[in-house]
Amino acid sequence: MTEYDLHFSPSSSRDAGSFKLLELPSDLCKLIEDAMESMTPLRFKIKGKADENAVLCTANKTFAIRSVALSNSVLVVTPPPDTSSLDFTADAVVIRDQVSEILELTPSVPKLHTTLASLRGREYDDGQEDDGMNESPDDMKKITYDDALRTIQASDIEIDLGLKSRHILIINGELRPISRPYLDRLLELILNVLIALSLPHNSAPVEALSSSLADEHDVPRTVSTQVMSWFGTMQHGKWKMDVNALIKEVGLGVLRHHRHDPINRDDLVAKWKSLVGDAFESRVDLGLLSGSYLASTSDPESLTYFPTSLLPIDPAARFADLFLTRSRWKAKDITPFLADIAVDSKERDKLLLKFARATTDADGVWYTARAQYNG
Amino acid sequence: MIVPINVATSSSNPKLPPGLAKISDDEVVLIELQGSLDVECNQISERNGKFVGKLKVDASTNKPTLLIGHHLLEGKIASLSRPLAVLLRSGAASTTPAASTARTDIDGDGDDVEMMDFDQRTLESGKTTEWDMVAIVKRKIVFAKRPMPVVNLNGHHET
Repeated sequence: MTEYDLHFSPSSSRDAGSFKLLELPSDLCKLIEDAMESMTPLRFKIKGKADENAVLCTANKTFAIRSVALSNSVLVVTPPPDTSSLDFTADAVVIRDQVSEILELTPSVPKLHTTLASLRGREYDDGQEDDGMNESPDDMKKITYDDALRTIQASDIEIDLGLKSRHILIINGELRPISRPYLDRLLELILNVLIALSLPHNSAPVEALSSSLADEHDVPRTVSTQVMSWFGTMQHGKWKMDVNALIKEVGLGVLRHHRHDPINRDDLVAKWKSLVGDAFESRVDLGLLSGSYLASTSDPESLTYFPTSLLPIDPAARFADLFLTRSRWKAKDITPFLADIAVDSKERDKLLLKFARATTDADGVWYTARAQYNG
Repeated sequence: MIVPINVATSSSNPKLPPGLAKISDDEVVLIELQGSLDVECNQISERNGKFVGKLKVDASTNKPTLLIGHHLLEGKIASLSRPLAVLLRSGAASTTPAASTARTDIDGDGDDVEMMDFDQRTLESGKTTEWDMVAIVKRKIVFAKRPMPVVNLNGHHET
């Protein structure tokens, strides 16, 4: 039987409150253990303003932090510090702190929306390259990339992805969403230049593309290269176009004019095909636009623009909006509009359970709004 | 504001005696008590370094016991359902010399931009908030039963 003398640490009064216990999800635990083993330094960040719930960010994931009170107390016991002036026996251990809460982590979707929404009005449009001249009067709204990294409750990689997917340019360190008409025009230009110079779309030299765009169409290089990086990957000076992503964006460009007056499915596809040109005509597929359009219930051939990005972020408000738009939904119709508020399909189904009522009839499962008796 | 958490990849911190180190981590062991240690003292610093009790771990049965004064607690070693990371505030009262010099720096040298920044962000608490992950613990010692009174056998004074 081994015996240990348990003492309060000589610094216990100062140590109080300096220990926290953080519950680790298994993937995070593995990440840390691997880093410890391979001696690679690893850093996490807890982010949040005073009025926000804190999140923990790894390089590529975001976790919500919740404090859970324990009815028991946990003593954090370590060997005595060797700088201690007191004489401890060899088998002495000391209590550093008493902890009565645990921090729990749950995976969370990156909270990009609020900050990026405040960029409205900072759009980058054609011919604005010398920005210093016509500084917008509302200088307060200016958000730099560094600001974004510091304030947005998401990991750095998620922020980069979010900027890409929302088509936000970084011009002189400042975040500038690209204006829709300009993006539509740029994509057309890129497709045209590819054909004109007969460059292969899976390995086009970035330099040739961007100089052609700059010389003939006055597109600043910083803009053209960033746009290319949104719709493909760049490696060794070559651009590999993500055909589906680019085609989809062109399709959205057509669709977005039809927010209120519907467009016929065939008209849309025809227009879309003419824009992408012969080379990519075969890649046009309405499935690419899922989550961005609604088919009319009376005439499934007529489509309206209904982008997920304009729906509220809060799940309750999102469902309220969806059920205002349409009183009942097929599962396959509603899921594209929930993708960005749930981390995975399991959480999405949880939201559906909570905010919608499922009914089954001859056509399959329908989701309707839950009665909200409390207004 | 951003609070960084550093994962300590190597450490020169003193190690626990082998019998305790094998429970989970070689630097930290967690002991869960029902209730808490409540020490009567006028000033909280009075208890610093004071003897609390005898912790025994039976090598063969792995049964831990804790003797505090006349009270004997019997416990067990329990696995945690999810591992816990033990975070230590760095810059707070720390026993490592490096950390304490860093602290003096903050107080003394106002020119240091990063330190200033930290001070700015943590004005309310007045402390630098940076946390070090010192250990990952997967098992803990739990004393969940009521203490049993024992006759004081050989002379450790009650605390």
